[in-house]
Amino acid sequence: MRPGFSPRGGGGRGGFGGRGRGGGDRGGRGGFRGGRGGFGGGFKSPGGEGGFRGRGGGRGTPRGRGGGRGGGRGGFRGGAKVTVEPHRHEGVFICRGKEDALVTKNMVIGESVYGEKRINVEEGETKIEYRAWNPFRSKLAAAILGGIDQIHIKPGVKVMYLGAASGTTVSHVSDIVGPEGLVYAVEFSHRSGRDLLNVAKKRTNIIPIIEDARHPHKYRMLVGMVDVIFADVAQPDQTRIVALNAHNFLKNGGHFVISIKANCIDSTAAPEAVFASEVKKMSAENMKPQEQLTLEPYERDHAVVVGIYRPPPKGKK
Amino acid sequence: MAEDSTVPSDLYQHVYSFLVENKFAKAAKEFLRQAKVKPQDQNEDSLMDIFNFWVKSPETKKRKAVTSGPAAVNGPSAKKAKKDADSSSSEDSSSEEEQAAPAKKAVQVKAPPPKKPAAVAAKESSSEDSSDSEDEAPAKTTAKKPAAVKAAVQPTAAARKKDTSSSSEESDSEEEPSKTPAKVVKPVTGTPKTVSTPVSAAQKKQDSSSEDSSSDSEDEPPAKSAVKAAVPVKTPPPAKPAAPAESSSDDSSSDEEDAPPPKKPKTGQFSAVPPPGTLTAQAPVKTPASVKTVTPKAAAKKDSSSSDSSDSSSEDEAKKPAVKAAPAKAAPAKKAPTKVAPAQKKDSSSSDSSSSEDEAAKPAVKVTPAKAASAKSTPAKVAQAKAAPAKVTPAAEESSSSSSEESEEEPKKPAAKVAPVKAAAKRAPAKKTPAKVTPAAKESSPSSSDSEEDEPPTPAKATPAKAAPAKATPAKATPAKAAPAKKDDSSSSDSESSEDEAPAKPAATSKPVSTPKPGTKPAESSSASDSSSDEDEGPQKKPVTTPVSKPAPAKPPAAKTTNKPAESSSSSSDSSSDEEPKKKPATTPVSKPTPAKPTPTVKTTNKQAESSSDSSSDEEDEPQKKAATTPASKPVATSAKTTPAAKPAESSSDSDSSSDEEAQKKTTTTPVPSKPATPAKPAAKAAESSSDSSDSEDETPAAKTAKPAAATATKSPAAASKPPVSASKPAAESSSSDSDGSSEDEKQAKTTVTPKAAPKPAVTPVNAKKAESSSSESSDSSDSETEAKKTPAKPVVANGKPVTKTPTSAAKTPAKKTAESSSSSDSSSDEEEPSKTPATKTPPATKTPPATKTPPATKTPPATKKQAAEAKAESSSSEESSEEEETPAATNGTQSAKKATPKNKKIATSTPQTFPRTKQKDSNAPFRRIREEDVEVDPRLKDNSFDAKMGANGDWGQKANNVLKFTKGKSFRHEKTKKKRGSYRGGAISTTVNSIKFDSD
Repeated sequence: MRPGFSPRGGGGRGGFGGRGRGGGDRGGRGGFRGGRGGFGGGFKSPGGEGGFRGRGGGRGTPRGRGGGRGGGRGGFRGGAKVTVEPHRHEGVFICRGKEDALVTKNMVIGESVYGEKRINVEEGETKIEYRAWNPFRSKLAAAILGGIDQIHIKPGVKVMYLGAASGTTVSHVSDIVGPEGLVYAVEFSHRSGRDLLNVAKKRTNIIPIIEDARHPHKYRMLVGMVDVIFADVAQPDQTRIVALNAHNFLKNGGHFVISIKANCIDSTAAPEAVFASEVKKMSAENMKPQEQLTLEPYERDHAVVVGIYRPPPKGKK
Repeated sequence: MAEDSTVPSDLYQHVYSFLVENKFAKAAKEFLRQAKVKPQDQNEDSLMDIFNFWVKSPETKKRKAVTSGPAAVNGPSAKKAKKDADSSSSEDSSSEEEQAAPAKKAVQVKAPPPKKPAAVAAKESSSEDSSDSEDEAPAKTTAKKPAAVKAAVQPTAAARKKDTSSSSEESDSEEEPSKTPAKVVKPVTGTPKTVSTPVSAAQKKQDSSSEDSSSDSEDEPPAKSAVKAAVPVKTPPPAKPAAPAESSSDDSSSDEEDAPPPKKPKTGQFSAVPPPGTLTAQAPVKTPASVKTVTPKAAAKKDSSSSDSSDSSSEDEAKKPAVKAAPAKAAPAKKAPTKVAPAQKKDSSSSDSSSSEDEAAKPAVKVTPAKAASAKSTPAKVAQAKAAPAKVTPAAEESSSSSSEESEEEPKKPAAKVAPVKAAAKRAPAKKTPAKVTPAAKESSPSSSDSEEDEPPTPAKATPAKAAPAKATPAKATPAKAAPAKKDDSSSSDSESSEDEAPAKPAATSKPVSTPKPGTKPAESSSASDSSSDEDEGPQKKPVTTPVSKPAPAKPPAAKTTNKPAESSSSSSDSSSDEEPKKKPATTPVSKPTPAKPTPTVKTTNKQAESSSDSSSDEEDEPQKKAATTPASKPVATSAKTTPAAKPAESSSDSDSSSDEEAQKKTTTTPVPSKPATPAKPAAKAAESSSDSSDSEDETPAAKTAKPAAATATKSPAAASKPPVSASKPAAESSSSDSDGSSEDEKQAKTTVTPKAAPKPAVTPVNAKKAESSSSESSDSSDSETEAKKTPAKPVVANGKPVTKTPTSAAKTPAKKTAESSSSSDSSSDEEEPSKTPATKTPPATKTPPATKTPPATKTPPATKKQAAEAKAESSSSEESSEEEETPAATNGTQSAKKATPKNKKIATSTPQTFPRTKQKDSNAPFRRIREEDVEVDPRLKDNSFDAKMGANGDWGQKANNVLKFTKGKSFRHEKTKKKRGSYRGGAISTTVNSIKFDSD
């Protein structure tokens, strides 16, 4: 029924306490608590599920439960009636039900990356599993829900993801691009990088790179030309960082999606001014901005800018 | 050590006996320990006899004759000038010596300690001596030994010391135009090194020796002989035992008078010798590092040494003692700055020596040194003050090596060094830093000599000299007043010297100066007393008195006569003139009165006294600045006039400081005296200023090549290009130093202690080496810092305008001037309201000039850079006040760091200034990556809120927005976390496009 995210999912990695219970909400609650307890640890600890049920590992360990879940399927909205329809953006789906949810097709069946809910849909003989994508956890999801026109991330493209963090969003990007696509996930933090590596272990289309995105030459040997660069690096010089990587790896006519956190650029200036300033900087780097969208209410003082790198001359088209 | 082996011990006995005879117990002891000499037979010739013989020898005359011409005239070109200067100095000294050979001996022996002027002269003379010694040495044979000694010394002597010494020598050589560049250089360097090695002791000795030498130099032969004698002595010392060596050197120096051969050694010795007494005491401490701590004296010594070093450096530069210089440089580098300081120190030392003599026999008394310093400070003050700052800066900066190198390089490098120094000192001086530094040093020495000369010399020395003399009187008067001030200066100089030589020494010196602290205090007090006495006398004719007390007479001759004397005189005269003209009436009186009480204050708290004196000086400066300033600044900027002006300014600053100090110290009153002095000064000043300018110019020019032809005014222009820097630097230095001092004083006055402390910190960086001399250093550093800070502070206090000046700092000259003016203005402003006007005026003038000057200087670039660093402080300060120019910014940047610390310590304001310009600018306006006013925001993007977004109504996120829009910060985070859990139900998801498109092409 509700494809949504169960509270447990919220718990995230933590695991679900509620699995056994079944129902989303109810379970959710129960899970919640448990989750919370687990949270502490679970949250950040990748591995961890915190003591949660002994279940297996953290996020990564997907709940073997899946099975449980499976049972859960019922739990999940109990078997409910959920219909999944594709979103405007290729590779993204909307789970329609009592409550709509944004989902992606799970590449690794039965595994939840960060405790998000999974939704199994049976279409005829085939079982398809979707993973709920929470816009409060992912800026890309927030941008999609906010109504961005183009994310340029679709099945089969190669994406460079700067600021991959623990890999939550990366896992969804991985789902979107599918087996034919590639995701170069660049993250400088080793702590987050550890989680990212665990995610990449199960998803063959993710190439984790634990390096400073400011120095693309350090990982130039690992990366080929990409079609899209997604950047969620909350750094004052993020535009420069993106430009550096674009110059190195982004194909001409490729696109970039940049999430801008105004407070990281200049916390004293008005967010709107910061965004305008950043947009101006992009223009100076051969990065032509095409659209901008606020991430409210999912994020505070954030905006997403989508643009094209070295656009082909108009005339041609 | 090496020296021992290399140098024949023949002279040891003489030296030892000389020391013993002159009651340099400690020195003798040390020397004995180091050299292991056997007591000399009574029947044998005494050192004095040898010296006398040497002086009378034809060779000496030749030298004198040769050099005298040029020297007297002025420094021709840099090298030539140096040589000439040396020769001239030698000639002068010879002539003087000849005339008053007996006197000289007495003088020298006594003089060193007693006569501060002598000390100054000594420095010069020492430098000259060194050059002379070199010259003579070669000629006579002493050369070999000296050379060996030198060589040994250099190696042995701490590189730094050597450097300093070398630098000092160089400066001297520059000033005088070394006759024998190469020789001189080496010798010089060697000497210097040796001297430096002895370090403080050596320095002090040198100072004393310098005084002697100065007197000698005036006499010419004597000095040289002394120097030579010193050389041998030094050799022994070379063993770093500096102290012993120094003492021995001192002894030797005294002996030297009699025996010319060991010229270099002598120089070293000289310096050492005088100090012996002091040195002895200090010596132990001294060694280089200890020296600083040791006492004011030590500091003084250091100063002297520094001056020596400066001389040597100058020589080096001239000759290129590259090698030695290089080594030395390393040490020198820091010293380099020191060099300037050295010069100052020398001056101070000279003054100290004179003072010590006046008060009591210098030898023994540490106080003497202190006094000497103080005394010197008076005369030297200006120079010292400047030098000190400069030195400090350098020290702080680094640059010992660079400075030393610079010094070696002479114009440019010197300038650079100077700059650092200046920067340290006050960036103002810094501007010309390189040139100035040397010049400054030279100047100081000259000034000291001048002061001395003034009295006696008046008669003889070159016009400049005479002028100087006349001025000298004034100058002396100033000195007298300055005495206290001088002390400060001396301290500053000490610090500088210490820096140059070794951190320790500087520290010592500075300490004395700044806070005379205990040790220093005595010295100071003594100096104060000296100064006071000088001042007292001064009233009528401070110059005279001072001179008198100082060995002025002797020195004058030595005065290196032309340039140096001129410079010193000029500085003094300048100050006096400045004071007289403007200040005297208004400020001077005031300030002086304050100080008045010269001694007392000083003793109490040198710093305070200084500060007071500074304040007074500042005040004076202000007036001057007002009156003079503008002109000065302009002059600087421009050419001829400027130079003069600048010099005057410097002098004024010096005078101011001196006056201030004196005043403060005296506290009592002395306004009258000071005033009297001023009056006298006016005339004198004019002359002096001219002479100074000429001197400074000459020096610089000489170094650079320009000739003084124009005499004062002209020269300045000439200098302008290179000289400008130097000239300006000198001026700047002096001014800066003065201003610093004043600022410090002021600050100190305000915070008294704090400033010092602050300075120290600041110093630390610079002085770090000195460690010891927190006090002395602090004083110096404080001075320099103060200056730097002051500048900033001033700007702050006074206005943005001062700041503008700072920018000048970039162009050191301008900066210096500005700094000076600013400082003065600041101080004045602080003290007096009037100052503001001046300040403002000055700034503008300065600014322009600075820029121009600096650029023109070209050589300056390096200098500028270095200076920049130095200047930075200044500039930073100035910047703070008003962000002046970009260039400065760069400089500021560099210096800013350094300065920043110091400044910070001293004053918050300063810090800002110190920091990069951006910061300064920022200071007013917080740092912002994005200036909203500069960003054009698309009207569609004016509102980033959810509600402003298209399709907001009914959106999946609307519920969330209703909760989150009222939250902020932590609560937002909390609410959002809830949503992350997946419990959020948003309803239907729409796939409409809500983004805002940019112009789609």
